Parts: sequence; C-alpha cells; structure tokens
Amino acid sequence: MILITNNPKVYDDPNIGCDKEFIDGSIKDVLVAVRDRIHIGHKLLSHPLSGSVKPNETPYKSILISKEAGNMDWDSLQIIENSIEVCEKFVRYPIKCGYNIQERLLADFSEVDYQLIVAALASAANK
Amino acid sequence: MGKYRVVHYINQFFGQIGGEEKVDHKPEAREGFVGPGMAFNAAFGDKAEIVGTVICGDSYFNENLEAATKEVLDLIKSFEPDIVIAGPAFNAGRYGMACGTVASTVEKELGIPAITGMYVENPGVDSFKKDIYIISTKNSAAGMRDAVKTMAAFALKLAAGEEIGASAEEGYIPNGIRVNFFEEKRGSERAVDMLLAKMAGKPYTTEFPMPDFDRVEPRPAVKDITKATIALVTSGGIVPKGNPDHIESSSASKYGKYDIEGVFDLTENTYETAHGGYDPVAANQDADRVLPVDILREYEKAGKIGKLHRYFYSTTGNGTAVASAKAYAAAIGKELVADGVDAVILTST
Amino acid sequence: MKLELGHIHIHDIQFDSVSRVENGTLFVNAEELREHLLEDENIQSVSFEIARPGESIRILPVKDVIEPRVKVQGSGGIFPGILSKVSTVGSGRTHVLKGAAVVTTGKIVGFQEGIIDMSGPGADYTPFSKLNNLVVVCEPVDGLKQYAHEKAVRLAGLKAAAYLGKLAKDVDPDEVEVYETPSLKEGIEKYPDLPRVAYVQMLQTQGLLHDTYVYGVDMKHSLPTMIYPTELMDGAVVSGNCVSACDKNTTYHHLNNPVVHDLFAKHGTELNFVGIIITNENVYLADKERSSDWSAKLAEFFGVDGVIISQEGFGNPDTDLIMNCKKIEAKGIKTVIITDEYAGRDGASQSLADADASADAVVTGGNANMLVSLPPMEKVIGHPEVANVIAGGFEGSLQQDGTIVVELQAITGATNELGFNRLSAR
Repeated sequence: MILITNNPKVYDDPNIGCDKEFIDGSIKDVLVAVRDRIHIGHKLLSHPLSGSVKPNETPYKSILISKEAGNMDWDSLQIIENSIEVCEKFVRYPIKCGYNIQERLLADFSEVDYQLIVAALASAANK
Repeated sequence: MGKYRVVHYINQFFGQIGGEEKVDHKPEAREGFVGPGMAFNAAFGDKAEIVGTVICGDSYFNENLEAATKEVLDLIKSFEPDIVIAGPAFNAGRYGMACGTVASTVEKELGIPAITGMYVENPGVDSFKKDIYIISTKNSAAGMRDAVKTMAAFALKLAAGEEIGASAEEGYIPNGIRVNFFEEKRGSERAVDMLLAKMAGKPYTTEFPMPDFDRVEPRPAVKDITKATIALVTSGGIVPKGNPDHIESSSASKYGKYDIEGVFDLTENTYETAHGGYDPVAANQDADRVLPVDILREYEKAGKIGKLHRYFYSTTGNGTAVASAKAYAAAIGKELVADGVDAVILTST
Repeated sequence: MKLELGHIHIHDIQFDSVSRVENGTLFVNAEELREHLLEDENIQSVSFEIARPGESIRILPVKDVIEPRVKVQGSGGIFPGILSKVSTVGSGRTHVLKGAAVVTTGKIVGFQEGIIDMSGPGADYTPFSKLNNLVVVCEPVDGLKQYAHEKAVRLAGLKAAAYLGKLAKDVDPDEVEVYETPSLKEGIEKYPDLPRVAYVQMLQTQGLLHDTYVYGVDMKHSLPTMIYPTELMDGAVVSGNCVSACDKNTTYHHLNNPVVHDLFAKHGTELNFVGIIITNENVYLADKERSSDWSAKLAEFFGVDGVIISQEGFGNPDTDLIMNCKKIEAKGIKTVIITDEYAGRDGASQSLADADASADAVVTGGNANMLVSLPPMEKVIGHPEVANVIAGGFEGSLQQDGTIVVELQAITGATNELGFNRLSAR
C-alpha cells in the first residue's frame, strides 16, 4: 500500500508503517497525484472524498492506493475523476477565516483526516 | 400600469399561411394576434396583450439561420415588446429549433424575456433548455389549451420580474439548474409512494434524473476483415441526386435505403447531400467525402475487405430527435443482420 | 416484535425547582441535571438555556438533538449498550415527551456547524425550530483530546434526554401508537398478497466525528445486519456524527425515523414492511464492496420485492448508495433511494459524487449549496463568531448586524436524507 497525503500529522506518524508520499500542496494536488498513479495502473484503496468536511473547509487529504500497478482499473478512475470534479465544485467558494481561529482549526482538521485514514488502515490491516 | 406588450412568433402552419408547401415562407409581421395567439390573448386577461405576431416558414428559418434570425428579430423589435412568446412547437423539430433560436436570441440581443413551449423529446429542448425557459407541453397541438394556460401564466411572472421556482412548480422542462422548493409531503412519504408505483409497474417521476450515460458495449473486433461484408450508414444526409425520398434537411422523419450495385464512385451528377447543418459544397461536389464508396470499392478490388454491402442507409442527423435516431438504427440494424453484414462504417459530418 | 409508543405532548418548557411533567409543560431542575452531567470528569462546566418555537433565538453550533424517551414496559432501556444494558429493546411500551428535545452545543473541533433558528426564514429549514428545546452547553476540561471531547458531549446529550425522559414514566400519554413487525414466517402467512418491502438504512461510519453506534457498537466494525424498526424507537441507533449539519442524522432523527413511520403507515394494507437492513459507509473501498454485497444478499434472502435506501453524509457515501442500489436492482428488487444534492450555489453542478442509470427512482432532500440569509436574532446561544467558519459559511458570512449568509448545509437537518422534510428540488 502507498499512502498519499498532504497532512504532516499522517506523514510523520511512525506508527503508520506503509509507504508514504508527501504532497506539498492542496487537496486537489493530492487528488491529481493519485489520479496520475491510477493512470499507470495503481488501484484506489480508500475513497478520496473521505469524511463530510467539505474540500473548501479542510486543507488536508490522505488517500490509500495499491503498491502494485497492473492494468488500469476503470472503477478507480471513475471515482478519482468524480472526486476531482466535486473538489473543483467546492473550491470555487473558498472559506477563509480569521488568523486566530485558523491555527486551532488546522489542528482539528488535521486530526480528523488522520483519524479517518487510521480507520481505513485498520480495515486494510484486517486482511 | 398598462398592459405588457407581447409579440408572438409562430410558423407558417399556425400562422394560417399553409402547410408543408409553405415551409419556405419568408418572415412577415402582422398586427395583433394570429391563430393560437387568440387563446394567449384571452389567457392574459387585462395584464398583457399581443401587439404583434411574426410568422416564418420552418424551412426558411432553419436553412437561412443567420439571415432569418436577423429578419425575425428586426420585426419583433419593431413592436417594442415587453415579452416574447414563441410557439408552442410541441414535437415539431424544425419549429422547435426555430422557436428556441428566436427566444434565446431575443433574450441575448434584445434583453427581453422570452419563452417557448415544446414536448420533452423535441430536439429543440436539448439545444435550448439552458438558454431559455421551455414550458413542457404534450406532443401535439391537442395539448394547445394546457400549453397556453401554463405559458401565459409563466410569461406574466417573467415579465413582472417575479422569482421563478423549481421546474416541477412552474411547468418548465428541467434545465439542469436545481432549484429548491417545498413539496406537500415529506421525502420519506414520497419515497414510499414512489416505491409502491415502481413495484406495481405504474408510472412515477424521479426527483433527480441521473446523468445520461448511454454506454454501449463495444462488439468484439472483426476476426478476418478480408472476408467481411462492410456496410455504409451515414447521418450526413448523402442521397441520390434530387433527393427522391425527400429526406429533410433537419429533424429527419425518415431514412433512405439506396442501391449502389455497380456504383464505384459518387459524383456531382449522381449524388448530393440533403443535410442542412453543414456547408454542402464539398459534399455535393463529391459525396464520397462523406460516404466513402470509392475507397471501399478499391479495398474490395485489392482484397482488403470481403465486399461492400449492396445498400447504404442515410438520414440527416441535424436536429433529429434521439428517439427517432434510435428507432431508425434498430430498423436498419435488423436488415443489416438479416443480410449477413459483418461490420458497419458509420459516418456523420 | 411489538411496541406501544405513548406520546405525552409538551407545549412548554420551564426551569423550576422540581423536575416534572405537568399539563404538557416540562419543568427542569437545572441544578440537579447539571450535577448529573458533571459526574463525567471530562466535563468542566455545564449550562442550560431554553429555546421555544417562535422565539428570536439562534443556537449554534449544534452537535446533536435527542428526544426524551423512557421504557415503561418490556426488556431493556433507552439507548441500549450505552446508557442502558445491552438487552434487546423495541418491545413493550415506551413513553415519549413529544414536542421536546435536548440540543447539545459547544466548540468541538474546528468546523463549528449546525444552526437552529427558532423563528424567521431559517426556522423553515430545520424541524427543530418546532420543538421546545433544552440547550445543553458543555465545556470540556482543558486539553481534552478531540475524540474524548466528542464522546463526552455525546453522552451528556443522551444522559440529559434520558433524565428528562424518565419524567414521563408515570404520566398518562395523550395518545398511543402501536407498531408491530411479525417474523418473516408470520408475515408471509399474514400478508401473502402484499408486496414485501425492506428499508436499507445507511449509517455514517468514517471515524472521528463521523460515527454511528448500534447498541453501543461502532457500526464501522460491523457487517450489515437486520434490525427491527421498533428497536430504533428505543434508541438502538445513536449518532456520533457531527459533520455536515444538513445531512447528518441526529439521534432525534434515528428515534423518529420517517421512512420507518411512513412504511408502517401502509404496512398491512398496501405493503408488508418486512424489516430494516442497517449498513455502513466506510472509507476503505473494499469495505464498501463487502457491505453493499451483503446488503443485497440480505435483501434477496428476505425475499423482498422492493427497498427504500436512505443515506447519510456527503461525498463518498454517494458511492455506497449507488453500489447498494445497483446490486439490489441486479437481484430483481426495485429500489427507491433518498439523497440530497450539492449542485453548487447556482444549482448547475453535478449533484452527486456518483451515479448510475439503475438509480432511476430518486427522492431528494434539496440542494445543500443554496444560499440563505438568516436575519439577526435577539439571542444567540452558543458561539456566534463561528458563523464565518461554519460549513457553508465564508469570509463575510457574519454581518455587522448579526445577519448570517450561509449555504443551506449549515442548518441542522435541512436536507436530511431520511426524507424527514418536505424540501425537495427539481
């Protein structure tokens, strides 16, 4: 498995043992990186639109893909393309907020993304 | 406040000029209402009145799009309307395209609210539903009364600048813009009712139509193309010179089946295009450009294909309803299978 | 399984020295309740407010809404596996304080979402503006982790609702409804000619702030299974879902599941409401595949002719919804799905994150991106300054005079995907 993420909390966690790749960018950048991998045959293992926090609210996203690459998986492609479309639909209307709330918010959003991918990893581990 | 000034756009038939023989009628203007305009006028009551009617033949309009639109618009402008109503066109394809063009251009260039009415399968719907409101009508003039009622009420709303609600509330064909509104019953009850209808095989209307996929499974590749019988089918409107079957230039109501036994090349003297949606000069000079008979005959001779099928099928894709196209394809397909054809080359424009 | 639901109609709520229900008024001894909730070491302070229908009050941010209920007869207790023992509920008799609710609020984690306006245009978009609400404002002890904070507030809400519910135990209900689900065998014998219908309920199960508990079990760790409709009425399903105010199911929604009620309304006459299949919405794709295969398998096993499928939340649950729909339809079982939409502020974007031609019978709770302008209220319970960062809010959402311009998604329950509301879209 490869974990593609822009969330430092996820990337830096020593307890997450699989291969990790850090994307220094936005949610869309993470989605595009995943899409590029799907094009060359990796399979999507977790859903890119994890959680109900909207793409224009949280800056963090972590996605699991297969380590092995085979023939391109149509379902993976459909899901990632639909997810990119949803993301674009939302980031047209950015939510900005005051600096003093910003710090605390970021920590919270980071925690939620972290917990959601941990839950997905738990499912992956039960194989 | 005085009455709203309404201009009504209609075709040669509703304009009481004539039927198919008058489809080339050039645009003209009349004072007051004509034909179905009378019903509209009555429906408006004291709120609005039809001050002028513009009439144009469907063929003239569709085959001279730019010029006709300008002429029609000038005539409409001369009446200084507050609102413009086109049609309703019901299921008539060319009339629908004309109404859609007129209404959308009026809005865009004159800044005047304009509406029309069509049956949901009219090709004009897909072309114009995002540009103007199209009131949903029955598929023939038998639905005139209901159409007038809904169109008149809606036109008044638009003219008054009132807020427009959801398609289900106002009666316009869903145009892809989702609008919230409150139903009588709560969602769960609507779901139970919908399921009961669906299980009983009764009609129901989904509240959210899924996007159209129309995915077609590709057939397996032809095993040996050198032995295959290939047929030519086109929506590019290629027909024998003179268009003996009178296939329409748009909104085709039929397709043709033509024998090319012994024909090795399509020439200016023997074939032409009936399609009104592209510049016909190149196709009229050499119809092989749209229907590659000459090339396939060469391949036949060289053994690259088994043989070119004796018949080709042709229609015009321009503004032709999807439902019609599907029906033609089903019929043509049946014959091709019966004739032992292995593969089809389908050309458009 | 048969349950009698006794409704005690509540028309008013007041603070008083003795907690009781009298002539349709709910009296609350705030001090007593506060002490009870402070038994949880993770909670530092608790305060209460009252919000009645029609008052000029705005509550934000809202975490959960819970209806006070109590078991009067029959096995188990309200909120089994959490507040009560794990014994099976859903039979006997339960009393309900109808018209009252507990609303929990407080700044758990960043996105402060969930607005309830008790009057004005915003009131039309939430069912909770029609209730007499006891608002519970909890502050956690300093440094409490997010997970523990959410749990503390969740339990506080359930405890408060159970405390109030107990007050109804010996009160004569104003009306009693009876709900009964026969066994599969009894059902076939009793209603041989009626179409058999099951309800497939999808529960949010993604992780922190996105969880649902069934008899105290985290549903993300469960395979899809069956449950009796009346078990829901006793609080078998509890919400730990704090995100996406408009389309998350509050515990109140679970207790008053409208699909359950509307199927029961026609049970025995137009259809045979066989039972409920509960399933989850995990992030891991293989889990989605497994669960949707399982739901379809159960539907086939129960021999139903049709199902209603409801979902919860935004984004990836659309994938579960479509999987469930496709696979159940493939078994020859007719489906109707209930969802909501994110069609953009102009209503022109693609409403769902996934789609399929077999989903040809859809009920929608409306477009959650629609902008609404909520006028200022005289009183705001909670934290008004969070309006700018509320889901669906934006820089400038909160205006000088207290007006909030937000997307519908910020209003609690606005586009509920159980079909709780009359809001729709075309």
